[in-house]
Amino acid sequence: MVDFVQNCLDGIMLGSSYALLAIGFTLIFGVMRRLNLSYGPSIMVGAFVGTLVYLEFKANALAIAAATVVGAVIVGIYVERLCFRAIRRGAAVASMVSSFVIWMQLEEIVTVVFPDRTYPFPPLVSAAPVELGPFFFKVENLVMFACAAAMTVWLHWLLQYTRFGLALRAVSENPRAALFMGINVGAVMFLAFVIASAFGGVAAYLIVSADGQITPLFGLWATFKGLIAMMLGGMGSIPGAILGGLLLGVVEAQSIWYLGTEYRDLSAYFLLFLFLVFRPGGLMGQLAVEREQAAMRRV
Amino acid sequence: MDDIYLVTVVSNIGMISFIALSAYLLLVVGEISFGQQAFFAVSAYGSGIATAMWGWPIWLGLLWGALLAGAAALVVAIPTVRLRGLYFSVATLAFAEMVRLIFEIFTYQVEIDGELVGPDGSDGFRDIRAIYDSNVSAFEYMLIIYGLLAVVLIGFLILERSRLGAIFRMIGEDPMLTEMQGLNVTVYKILAVVMAGVVAGIGGALYAHLATYVEPKIFNVMLGVHALAYGLIGGLGTAFGPLIGVAIDIGLLESIRAISGYRMIVFGGLVALLLIVRPRGLLDEAAVHWLRGRWRELRRATH
Repeated sequence: MVDFVQNCLDGIMLGSSYALLAIGFTLIFGVMRRLNLSYGPSIMVGAFVGTLVYLEFKANALAIAAATVVGAVIVGIYVERLCFRAIRRGAAVASMVSSFVIWMQLEEIVTVVFPDRTYPFPPLVSAAPVELGPFFFKVENLVMFACAAAMTVWLHWLLQYTRFGLALRAVSENPRAALFMGINVGAVMFLAFVIASAFGGVAAYLIVSADGQITPLFGLWATFKGLIAMMLGGMGSIPGAILGGLLLGVVEAQSIWYLGTEYRDLSAYFLLFLFLVFRPGGLMGQLAVEREQAAMRRV
Repeated sequence: MDDIYLVTVVSNIGMISFIALSAYLLLVVGEISFGQQAFFAVSAYGSGIATAMWGWPIWLGLLWGALLAGAAALVVAIPTVRLRGLYFSVATLAFAEMVRLIFEIFTYQVEIDGELVGPDGSDGFRDIRAIYDSNVSAFEYMLIIYGLLAVVLIGFLILERSRLGAIFRMIGEDPMLTEMQGLNVTVYKILAVVMAGVVAGIGGALYAHLATYVEPKIFNVMLGVHALAYGLIGGLGTAFGPLIGVAIDIGLLESIRAISGYRMIVFGGLVALLLIVRPRGLLDEAAVHWLRGRWRELRRATH
């Protein structure tokens, strides 16, 4: 029983990093209705900018974090301009494939600039695990969890209580109607992309500093973990992204413990497949999907 | 030496064309699949087991692999085909990753001539030697690949002129309107997924026998997304589109090896720019329509 609970706690800690990734993903998807495969690779480039600042200037943690976020945002803007803004509406597949080739491009740029593949990344905190009764917590994971919670609260405030949030929700609901209401749809999408990239940068910093190292493979990892967590939670839903991330973390932690490491990803994908077949809307987005299916049935 | 290199590159273009065609077929019915590599993998393993372990002749192994891939596609299609858009795409991704991870732990070996033969989890599946044992040269095998590719391509061209092809394109344009025509969209989509699975399977079986060695990590999601990208680069208007995409990627990039370290930087940028100008690829529906018109005029003028 202690094992099971400890696994759940580990999973929630692991899952908070997935949740961080999924928030940025779901924000872009919620507004654009297009999949940005370059999301992981662009925050990976951000993390490499952070490494560069660390190696060149021996900078402190705050400067490294800032460099990571700025790097992620700049690359995010590049992706938005090239793969989303420039491609006309209705060509969602073209945007997705475009973001894929830009992923390949970013990965190659990183391997050319950083030929050693694996680089050190300074830890944010180096404290011993906290003990609470029979349970252990890693400090960096607690920080991650706190950041995910804080970012969610801030995002909730931004979306629900500001004019910008209202505009963003309107665009997400129906871009054309939003345009007729005098909302600058392009600008809203651009800002949503920038916010998502900044969140991604924070996520990348926290995850990579907890790992202590960075490789170009981080891009692939981040894209797929973020995508799975987003789908489990329900596309476009921010609370869903958090829950999806935590669920993914718990399932992975339990399967590592009870089945073995080689079953970690297998059970994650199995869970995702089951969700898609039986509850495609995920934990929080079922309503929208059901509405669409009902419309289809009426025809 | 150069000749062997050339034959290998040309053979690779041929094999990858199958998986590109398979992703293209699904793009025609309006679905994006991130998972065609799964059927490629199922067939590569299945046909390898048949020829190397059960001693079947190559042609039967190829057929078996393709059928197995079709059966796997049917299994995925039935629960997932009613999902729309990104939900379907991610379901195919989840399925394909499940297949890859199962092959990471799948072990089935028998002793043949004092040696263990068969898939061994993440160490892969060695010694699929059927084409070398029967003295088929690399060049002859290349001809076999292109012969089969030609058959599949002719099949696609016939399909595109048929009623079934028209239905597929109609589903791709608007599934709801197609349903209103009294056509069962679900059944046609399942058919498309199975056909795509078989096509990917032919490529997978050919691949396993040329490489003689397969391992699960070859069939990762990168293969599937590349397959998808080829169709979109070459164009969604005709089955020649994905072949052009493959030829551009492998052919052109292999031939300019001087920039080998930077090829994705250049290529990625070029493709991104191309997609801005032509979001449905070089040979999109409009381009194909225009070309057909010119061709008809030309024929009329010469008669």
